[in-house]
Amino acid sequence: MNIYNILVAFDSSKPSFEAVEYTARMIRSVPDVLVTLLFIERLPDKDLFESEALWRAECAELVVDYKRKLAKARGLLASSGIHKKAINEEYIISCSSPFEDAKVCTTGDSIAEDILAIQKEGNHGTVVIGRRGISKEEEFLFGSVSTDLLRQFTECALWVVNSKCD
Amino acid sequence: MGTRAYDIITQYQPQFPRKHAGRIVTDTTEFMSIDYGDVMLLEGKHYLVTKNLSERRFGLEDPKYWVKRCKELETGRHHIIKLEFYEKFDIRIGTLQSSCYRSPRKESRILKLIDGDMRFMQGRTVMDEKGNCVRILDIIYGSELDIALDRITVSHEEYFHTIFPDYFAKFIGAVRAIEFLHQHREQHGDIRRDHLLIESGTKDWRWIDFDYTFGLRDNPYALDLFGLGSILLLLTGQREITAQQLATQQHPVAITTADMALAMPYRLANIQKKYPYIPDSLNNICMHFSTKNTVFYSSVTEFVSALLTCFHELPVFTSARGRYS
Repeated sequence: MNIYNILVAFDSSKPSFEAVEYTARMIRSVPDVLVTLLFIERLPDKDLFESEALWRAECAELVVDYKRKLAKARGLLASSGIHKKAINEEYIISCSSPFEDAKVCTTGDSIAEDILAIQKEGNHGTVVIGRRGISKEEEFLFGSVSTDLLRQFTECALWVVNSKCD
Repeated sequence: MGTRAYDIITQYQPQFPRKHAGRIVTDTTEFMSIDYGDVMLLEGKHYLVTKNLSERRFGLEDPKYWVKRCKELETGRHHIIKLEFYEKFDIRIGTLQSSCYRSPRKESRILKLIDGDMRFMQGRTVMDEKGNCVRILDIIYGSELDIALDRITVSHEEYFHTIFPDYFAKFIGAVRAIEFLHQHREQHGDIRRDHLLIESGTKDWRWIDFDYTFGLRDNPYALDLFGLGSILLLLTGQREITAQQLATQQHPVAITTADMALAMPYRLANIQKKYPYIPDSLNNICMHFSTKNTVFYSSVTEFVSALLTCFHELPVFTSARGRYS
């Protein structure tokens, strides 16, 4: 497994931008590095909306926002001196997406397992993720991807970047 | 909409007072205006509204105008009918706040999934003339779990050795029912002590009310697990044990914050502190829902597995094992 083949889990949140910035600082002077920005699309449940039209509108808005932020994250890496050819993107669409069909999609049941699958498939030796400062109660009730990754990762390095924001 | 319901009511229920006969309703959108004496005509059947239902919360009645108790005139059977109502509101879960949504569509889907599975309430979905999603539910005659527990007057020690083993076995069945939902990528969404009914005749434990759902979370099933943990604490302690009760009892027990429940710091999770005869392995499961815990159950499947290990190994369950294996 190549430790310079880095997978950055990016979800458009502030902590994930911080993880991208941290990665850029760590690797900008490392030759032959390869960075993949992984975005696992999460769309709101249709159940939350009174009509299909309202749900689709919300999904459309979110997808545009996700892609805009992913492009911004890519820009951050490029502006740090990482060669454009060394930056990849992987956007895994939600299986419930009303817009696209894909052979590979995410059910949203476990983001950690999705990351783990992509890491194995792409032979990534390093995975980076941002972590929000959440309480133990929040972690239990709402889950924490970084905690799940810490438990499940055994085969590669995991960088958990603590967020400066709340 | 607006037709007088008197003729159809008297056809099936001649003694019904004429002055209370309302309208025949085919569009249920304005559910607030559907009241006692109105008849909802849904897919060819007539449902006479006999009551708007309420929910019991902290001793107060909270009216739910979208939920009606009805009598199906053609059969004489009573039903609970839930009319289409979407809402978003914030709820407190212990010390945390979260946005919660009411989704008729979700409940309909689950009703279809669990059709014939008596671990859950039963019912079907029909659409009114405007396409509103109306759920016609069978009434479960019985009592909520917390009320059933409150009615038990024996000491905890007697309860623990005589009633609890059967309740624990029933609880495992109820947890497996939730596991079934999760396996089908559904969540109950509102697991509470009063959403688990003990049916009078069969003594079956049955889940009700599936219309709550939540927004995006890293673990979509964790809230159900948290609810199940709360019920386990209630069952094991026979009732909720608070820090205040412990401090004011005749022989006060020394407790720390680590003994209390996660997200509910007033509530004891370390039940063994009050009742020392609670076996370690059972208490350990309870402690997974305490502030002391750092490793949570990752799924309901894992939780069920721990409960089953207890059930198969602890002497207190010896007799129940014969009845529930």
